[in-house]
Amino acid sequence: MSNAVLRLDHISRLFGMTVALADMSIVLHPGEVHAIVGENGAGKSTMIKIMTGIHQPSGGTIFVDGEPRQISGPQAAREAGIAAIYQEPMVFPDLDVTENIFISDTSAGLWVRPAEQRKRARALIERIGMKLDPDRIASGLTLAEQQAVEIARALSQDVRVLIMDEPTASLSAHEASQLRQIATTLAEQGVAVVYISHRLEEIFEIADRVTVIRDGAHISTKPISEVTSDGMIAEMVGREVGNYFAKAPGTVTDKTVLEVRDLTLDGVFEDISFDLHAGEVLCMAGLVGARRTDVALSLFGITPATSGNINYRGEDTWFSSPRQAIDAGIAYVSEDRRKLGLAMPMPIKSNISLATLDEFLSPRGLLDREREDSVANEYRERLNIRTGSVETPVGMLSGGNQQKVMLAKWLNMKPDLLIFDEPTRGIDIGAKAEVHDLIRDFVARGGAALVISSDLPEVLAMGDRILVMREGRQMGILDTGEATQEAIMSMATGQLEQAV
Amino acid sequence: MLNRISPQTLRILALLAVLALVLLFFSTQVPNYLNGRLFNRISSSVAIMAIVACAQTLVILTRNIDLSIGSTLGFVAFATGSLITNNPELGPALLLIYSICLGACFGVVNGALVAYARIPSIIVTLATMALFRSALVEYSDAKSITTGNLPTWLVDFPNYKILTFGSYQLRASFLLAVVVVIIVHIALTRLRAARKIYAVGSNPEAAEMAGINSKRVVLTAFVLAGALAGLAGFMFLARFGTITVVAGLGFELKSVAASVVGGVNIFGGSGSVIGAFIGAVLVDLIDMSLVRWQLVSEFWREAVLGTLILLSVAADATLMRRLVAWRVAREKARIQRSTQS
Repeated sequence: MSNAVLRLDHISRLFGMTVALADMSIVLHPGEVHAIVGENGAGKSTMIKIMTGIHQPSGGTIFVDGEPRQISGPQAAREAGIAAIYQEPMVFPDLDVTENIFISDTSAGLWVRPAEQRKRARALIERIGMKLDPDRIASGLTLAEQQAVEIARALSQDVRVLIMDEPTASLSAHEASQLRQIATTLAEQGVAVVYISHRLEEIFEIADRVTVIRDGAHISTKPISEVTSDGMIAEMVGREVGNYFAKAPGTVTDKTVLEVRDLTLDGVFEDISFDLHAGEVLCMAGLVGARRTDVALSLFGITPATSGNINYRGEDTWFSSPRQAIDAGIAYVSEDRRKLGLAMPMPIKSNISLATLDEFLSPRGLLDREREDSVANEYRERLNIRTGSVETPVGMLSGGNQQKVMLAKWLNMKPDLLIFDEPTRGIDIGAKAEVHDLIRDFVARGGAALVISSDLPEVLAMGDRILVMREGRQMGILDTGEATQEAIMSMATGQLEQAV
Repeated sequence: MLNRISPQTLRILALLAVLALVLLFFSTQVPNYLNGRLFNRISSSVAIMAIVACAQTLVILTRNIDLSIGSTLGFVAFATGSLITNNPELGPALLLIYSICLGACFGVVNGALVAYARIPSIIVTLATMALFRSALVEYSDAKSITTGNLPTWLVDFPNYKILTFGSYQLRASFLLAVVVVIIVHIALTRLRAARKIYAVGSNPEAAEMAGINSKRVVLTAFVLAGALAGLAGFMFLARFGTITVVAGLGFELKSVAASVVGGVNIFGGSGSVIGAFIGAVLVDLIDMSLVRWQLVSEFWREAVLGTLILLSVAADATLMRRLVAWRVAREKARIQRSTQS
């Protein structure tokens, strides 16, 4: 069709050595709701960032109204009529609704006309079918209202392509249906709506066409009537699995380390129940927003659950702070190395000793530097941390080596239970295999590991059992034998639920 | 009623109430307190601080701070003084423009380093505070500007009486300060471009996404602040006549205090220059009243000021949080009612 408003043609994008987008092509027409689905890391966010000018493509061409065009920045994207709203709205908390809507209004005039703006704001809010007082300060709005403000802002700039990235992920059911209504309304008014969601039922409700992407490439685009959920899932996961992660022999024992029953954190997750044995790796799989990390944070005492039972090493326990969990021998390796894991400017050895400083005290109460050195060197050898010296600041290491330093820090605590949150995110394949070996080695020595991972091949290779979550609910636990990418994906997208 | 008033207006009303309370309190403590002399003294001294606080507010709104503002003021006061000493024939307008432009130049240095070299403003302006001051020492060559060498129109200007009610005098310097504050206030609330200052301070990431050039906004804020500091330098020269190398020392912290007491959020994004103006009046009033209050020794004046800053910020934060929580609760109740029906 010639009336495409936006077309990506064989777009690629590299970040250093990492390929975020390999070969992405997509055509958007006015008046359609175009859903885009794909696994975590399939390249959805990168694609949005290219459409909105935040990233520049490494290769390929973008066409706006059939003309090749460079979208050099957010300003250029706006001029082309492209806007995006995200799960976390981008509002100005100190400004009111009207000011938020017209923040980047470039229409003529030096002065603001408040009365006129308020009238226009009211009209825009009405156009998307919301009820909202234009004088309210944004910091007091609900998430859904903030999103509505963002949509109204986009409309005020004559948006022609509106990208909605997981817009309903943090909304209540009622708010979510309101938002879907807005998406449909806008499409009827001639806007091309790009709708990205993990909730397949939403897509069947509102999408006109569905594009599946995988590993940074376009897989298929079909009218919604020709799509089934099974077909979509097969396309989302259907990569050649290859055998780059060898399945290690199981070391599971009968000794139960952790018994979790009906763990619930109100409004976040509910009724999570599982056992974890010494020598076992239990993987938690699910899509973004499945609340797996929240479960881990509750187990670790950061955000204690509101109800349920935790039995740890044969005793009913309840951790209300990370200190208690650490003292009991639980370690949590965060997914966010930069923010929660490592002190980047500090040397490797200081990072390793950080969680267990008491062990490094000399009798005089000072830090025993030699011991710090020897322990750090021991881990450097054992974990194969590639560096000239343990004095190197962690920030100068590669992602894989940083991850190993983080592991060393927690292993030095000699924990009984290790919780890994995305242990191999953003590190290269060789380092991934090494991290897998380390986790395996840890459980072979009698430890228990809970591994949260969004990487399906990794989950299948690592997990002795796999717990699948979806939007705060436990969809089922799969044994190695019955677990396939398709089975996990069906559960993660809510197409299949295991009977309890 | 409470829901019609914007938090900003509420803040100003609260400040005015505090101002009234302070006046009331001291009038019971200090004999012969409320009179024209107090008004005249405060209005003369606050005239300069109000403009500096106004400048500081512009910078703070963008989530930055300008610690070099006192040094800028001092340098401009001295340079303007030496210009008119050497060229007595220069007219008022030219001299004023010279002051403002010179101040703006200092603002360009600060703004460029903060916005384009990406150095945190507290570090940049801490450094330029010392640098500008040293530049002044070098430039002054150990000499001072003295009143005797200044033209009479300049020296007489600050105390020129516009209006007189008994012992209450409306002096030119105070009027000028009030006019500047009002102009900046109108510009900040009504100018399309000024909204960007609030946006950048409120949510820098969202501002970038909305296509706002935050670097240019930050630079502009610093340049405007410099220009206002230049104007304040001009008034400083006119008021004191005698300018040494320590001119304007301490203004940087006092201006931050005035802004913060006046309800300007130190993390940017909210606040008004009217608030900063009242904050400046309040700080000055308390400072001056304590001198006359026998109960508090000289040495405790700073402590009282420090306490005031802490109290006002804490009270502001608590009040605003309450207000927001109250409105959210009310809104929720409204939604619940409408979904039930």
